Amino acid sequence: MTDEPNVCAIRGLRSIPGAARRITPMPTILADPRLPISFTEPEGVMLKMQHLSKVYRTHMVETHALRDFSIHVRDGEFVAVTGPSGSGKTTFLNIAGLLEEFTSGEFWLDGVAVSGLNDNARSKLRNEKIGFIFQGFNLIPDLNLFDNVDVPLRYRGYNAAERRKRIEESLARVGLSSRMKHYPSELSGGQQQRVAIARALAGSPRLLMADEPTGNLDSLMARGVMELLEEINRAGTTIIMVTHDPELAARAQRNVHVMDGQVTDFDAEPKLRMQSRDADIEEAVV
Amino acid sequence: MEIRPIISALMRSKVAMILIGLQVALTLAIVCNSLFIISQRFERMQRPSGMNETDTFYFGSSGFGRGYDARATQKADLQLLRQLPGVAAVTPAWSVPLSGGGWDSGISLQPRQKTATADSAIYIVDDAAVNTFGTHLIAGRDFKPEEVVDTAFGGSLHPAVVIVTKALADKLFPAGDAVGKQIYMDQDPPTSTIIGVVDRLQHMRAESSSIEYSTLVPAYMPYDNFTRYLVRTEPGRRDEVMKSVEQKLAESNRNRIVSKMRTLEQTRRDAYADDRAMMIILGTVIVALLTITALGIVGMASFWVAQRTKQIGTRRALGATRFDILRYFLTENFVITTLGLLVGGALTYVLSLWLLTHTDGAKLLPWYYVPIGFACLWLLGQIAVLGPATRASRVPPAVATRSV
Amino acid sequence: MFSYYLQLGLRSLRRNPILTALMVLGIALGIAASMTTLTVMHLMGSDPIPWKSSNLHYVQMDNWDPNSPYNPDGSPPDQVTYRDAVALMEAGKADKQVAMFKLALPVQPVNPELKPFRALARVTYADFFAMFEPPFAYGGGWNHDQDAQHARVVVLGNGINEKLFGGQNSVGKTVRLDGNDYTIVGVLGDWKLRSRYYDLTVGAFADPDDMFMPFTTAIDLKQRSSGNNSCWTSSADGWDAYLQSDCVWIQMWVQLDSPARLAEYQSFLDAYVNEQKKSGRFQRPLNNRLPDVNTWMADQKVVSGDVKVQTGLGFAFLAVCLVNTIGLLLAKFTRKAGEIGLRRALGASRRDIFGQFLIESGVVGLSGGMIGLLLTGFGLIAVRALYTNYKTVAQLDWVMVATTVLLAVAAAVLAGLYPTWRACQVAPAAQLKTQ
Repeated sequence: MTDEPNVCAIRGLRSIPGAARRITPMPTILADPRLPISFTEPEGVMLKMQHLSKVYRTHMVETHALRDFSIHVRDGEFVAVTGPSGSGKTTFLNIAGLLEEFTSGEFWLDGVAVSGLNDNARSKLRNEKIGFIFQGFNLIPDLNLFDNVDVPLRYRGYNAAERRKRIEESLARVGLSSRMKHYPSELSGGQQQRVAIARALAGSPRLLMADEPTGNLDSLMARGVMELLEEINRAGTTIIMVTHDPELAARAQRNVHVMDGQVTDFDAEPKLRMQSRDADIEEAVV
Repeated sequence: MEIRPIISALMRSKVAMILIGLQVALTLAIVCNSLFIISQRFERMQRPSGMNETDTFYFGSSGFGRGYDARATQKADLQLLRQLPGVAAVTPAWSVPLSGGGWDSGISLQPRQKTATADSAIYIVDDAAVNTFGTHLIAGRDFKPEEVVDTAFGGSLHPAVVIVTKALADKLFPAGDAVGKQIYMDQDPPTSTIIGVVDRLQHMRAESSSIEYSTLVPAYMPYDNFTRYLVRTEPGRRDEVMKSVEQKLAESNRNRIVSKMRTLEQTRRDAYADDRAMMIILGTVIVALLTITALGIVGMASFWVAQRTKQIGTRRALGATRFDILRYFLTENFVITTLGLLVGGALTYVLSLWLLTHTDGAKLLPWYYVPIGFACLWLLGQIAVLGPATRASRVPPAVATRSV
Repeated sequence: MFSYYLQLGLRSLRRNPILTALMVLGIALGIAASMTTLTVMHLMGSDPIPWKSSNLHYVQMDNWDPNSPYNPDGSPPDQVTYRDAVALMEAGKADKQVAMFKLALPVQPVNPELKPFRALARVTYADFFAMFEPPFAYGGGWNHDQDAQHARVVVLGNGINEKLFGGQNSVGKTVRLDGNDYTIVGVLGDWKLRSRYYDLTVGAFADPDDMFMPFTTAIDLKQRSSGNNSCWTSSADGWDAYLQSDCVWIQMWVQLDSPARLAEYQSFLDAYVNEQKKSGRFQRPLNNRLPDVNTWMADQKVVSGDVKVQTGLGFAFLAVCLVNTIGLLLAKFTRKAGEIGLRRALGASRRDIFGQFLIESGVVGLSGGMIGLLLTGFGLIAVRALYTNYKTVAQLDWVMVATTVLLAVAAAVLAGLYPTWRACQVAPAAQLKTQ
């Protein structure tokens, strides 16, 4: 994790050749000029997409889910990606989370060029670098909390002692260490989402992808989850959160608005950090 | 690798596991026992009769009317048959191995012995018998023509000389010195002398417990007006000779009925028809059972895959490779199959014990059928689950973010 | 409501044709395997003469070797000696009684175009026809006087009457058997015997008897039995010595019309054997038995061990198929949890859901049963091909058809019961939320 304070990485717009006939000029997120950007090994850049497009082909219809999509997320940022349903934000999430392939363009994740990777390499990268938090929690109902958190660690290939240590730590971090033997169905929605967060954190990922993390929660639980995410971010983990909820998005450092598969709007300035990054994580947990 | 979480996940959906496990258990029990029965029947059917079965046939002749002289007809018939081209050897024979009916008798070593030493098939034949049956003399000598005596069919049988099979000779005289020894064909004297031993000649009843015990008795002894003839032909000429024999005998004497000629091959087929039927029926059951079980596994696994699509997507999102997913389902199937097999092992012996009470001469299933059955069902399970598991491995990770 | 459920069931079955085919095929195969084997076993062992089988008793006496029993289990011989048969016939203590044996003898047709052939005769007494009740096409059996007179009379079976007389009424004509002429007194109709239960000593499913003739006549003509003949001691040579020997070769049946008569006959038989013991015969312990038809058939293992094993395996196979179907139905119904929740929310009661899914299982069972019935038909054809003796018992009768269909539906409904019950547990609201 970098100790650098979060600064805005976006300096301005640049028109892209070839996209000129479009009515809306292509917004492109540029790298901070202070940070040297190499096309192979960008330092301090967690995620970078350039001119990315995703086309779904079903029978006769071609759907452009993303077109000439470019985004740049720096290490340690908390970015909210917003947009209405069907805007392409889920597609962005899937591609950013290595869940889906893209049709053309370029994409680096933590310095690794993704486009050349096969399925196994992508799985490995996903397992090591990314933690996922889903709207529906996606806990495995047949496994207890311990085993649920264990799932990514198994694929990581840690030994039993290492796994146990990490599971216990991460469940403790979300305040559920006493319920390790419980099954998801015995928990409230907020608790389930915290288990999902514990699972996402257990492998110490560099990037946390959150998909409407509070979508299935009431506002009180949602606040707790958000505070937890903010704590995690403060501890150095980059977070990309996809949401359609502007209130939630407002709590992120930066908003990227997606519309019709393109980035149409973004916060130029990062929000001021309200809390000290040394604040006790436990405080954030409701 | 991840057997413990698989088991704990399975324990949450016990019913499905129990159903597949039970199916595997029953399949193991039925397949092992059926295979054992098949192998026993197969072994039974493989026992050699000791005869030249390919070139041999037999038929009966029954005369009627008051003027019919069975003894004279028998002698004339033998003469006629022995002259026919293609005939290698002919003997009158009361009965033929595996043919079902005939004479059997207890053989004793002492007069008035309380229980006979051995039960033996009695083949009443002439001096051409060893040659006609196609069996081999391994000790002593063959009958001489003058030893074949005219005998009236009646109460008792006291031949001066007999030839016995090796199995019978060994049973009666374990020292291996049967030739020259005296035996009692009846409980009373006179005794009969063993003059020769043949390597093998089976009993006329395939189901007999004394299947290898046979005694050749030299005598011209029609059963009332009935005589049976056994004919061995030169190699490959059986069918041709059968036709000519039928024709010649029809011409020779109008006052008799020549029964349908039967080959030894037909006789063997008929003798083991029930065993063959049992083998075919059990074989069909095994195939049908394995098919049903495999289809059941495919069906259940497909359902599980469909039901757990989201879960699979989540696992993929959390970093599982396609192979991890494939392996998960293969391992899960292995665990369920193994649990089923453990129950099935016990069930197999329950079934085996039940079979013991319902079949004559049944034996307890040998232990090695169980591990072989285990291996077969493991393999069957893995093959059956491969399709659904491959489908599972193709579930895209993006399923995890789908809201429904 | 039923037709609505039926419609829903059919539609649901059509939606997953492969799964449906798998379930129907599973039930059909299980039903076919179990019903084929059960039919053979049922017909083999079924009571051949249910209206009087408990009044017909086989006679067993133990005249065997004092040193070793006839059967290892100590049961008496399965036949009796000539001496004892004749003594019991002459005593005439039962309501009806017959001694009998099997005889193969040459038939010499008058028609020169027909070659002489061997036929099987049942050598017996006049009471045979009253006891075992074969149907007559023409004439009838002979009478007791003809037994006493050793009359040369014969009753033909319909097969041999067809062969010799073209199926015409041949009563009064003669037939030459082994050089002697016999007057035909009766011709049987089509006597459908599944097993020749009155003589089990030579196989219950062997060739049927072609004709029937008086015992006394056959003995006169020194006709030797073609059935089993077992001796434990040697006897002197010659026909008369043979008749006086302790060889057993005759089957003896008595009809006793009440339990009281049975008890009387049992004590008569015991008295007879005890009397014989005085003359040195019957040295084994008193072991007289009078099994009735069904007991005797069971004793003689008319239903072979193989057939029992096959039936057992057939039903075990059905069990596997049922477990299979339960699993598949469970899978199917679980996937429909959403639909069930919706239906419940729209006002369906648990009973409605139960009815709907049970009918779906029933439809699977009925189709499985129908296909199973067809396969059972093929199965029986296969059994007839494999066991040439079983022609009379590998037949589908209406009882078995009904049983098959009933069993299939019952099996499928039973298989559907647990999945249906599970389906009913779905709460109306639970499935309406996401996931």
